[in-house]
Amino acid sequence: MKNNIKVQRAIHDMTQADLADKIGVSRQTINAMEKNKYVPSTVLSLKIAKLFEVPLEGIFFLEDED
Amino acid sequence: MKTNYLLPHKYKKLGWTLLSLGIISFIILGSTQYEGGFFEIKVLSIFNYDYTNKTFFKIIKDDIRNEVISILIIVGGLLVGFTKEKIEDEFIYKLRNDSLVWAFILNYTILLITILFIYGGDFFEVMMYNIFTPLIFFIIRFNFLKYKSRSHEE
Repeated sequence: MKNNIKVQRAIHDMTQADLADKIGVSRQTINAMEKNKYVPSTVLSLKIAKLFEVPLEGIFFLEDED
Repeated sequence: MKTNYLLPHKYKKLGWTLLSLGIISFIILGSTQYEGGFFEIKVLSIFNYDYTNKTFFKIIKDDIRNEVISILIIVGGLLVGFTKEKIEDEFIYKLRNDSLVWAFILNYTILLITILFIYGGDFFEVMMYNIFTPLIFFIIRFNFLKYKSRSHEE
């Protein structure tokens, strides 16, 4: 799965730490997600989507191998 | 996210202290031949087999250094491995689970190799280390993964 969290952060002018604070995770978690090393749970994905006011499909994208 | 079985973060320091004490005394004990004396106290044995006869529920005398060191390493190790991180979230939970699987497989791989290639008294020495290795491998792997995910930040 891919995501555009980094782009969304830029649009909302947020650092990794800001985003981590707002959704209650560590900065490493945000970093791992942006590097596609970690696929977040449904709950965490929904929190991110809600924060950026974008539907889930606007942030997370399936890849061919998924 | 719900994270079960984990103790509060404040016990982590205590865990590291106990674990270090245990490992340091383990190393010191391994290099000295000092016998009995001060550390020999009366203990309750539920089951004891001393070559000739079996006894149940008997007070015996025993050098308790081995027991103390084992308890220090095991309790310390459990506290280090199974207390919450400062920010405990689903990613750190995944790292912890991955490390557990990794440590488990590594431990049994090593054990398989020793079963195949090490015989006699040395085998039992390996088994003695094997009491602690799953926990130690897990702690090393978990902390390595945590460190790795930290060093790649922007």
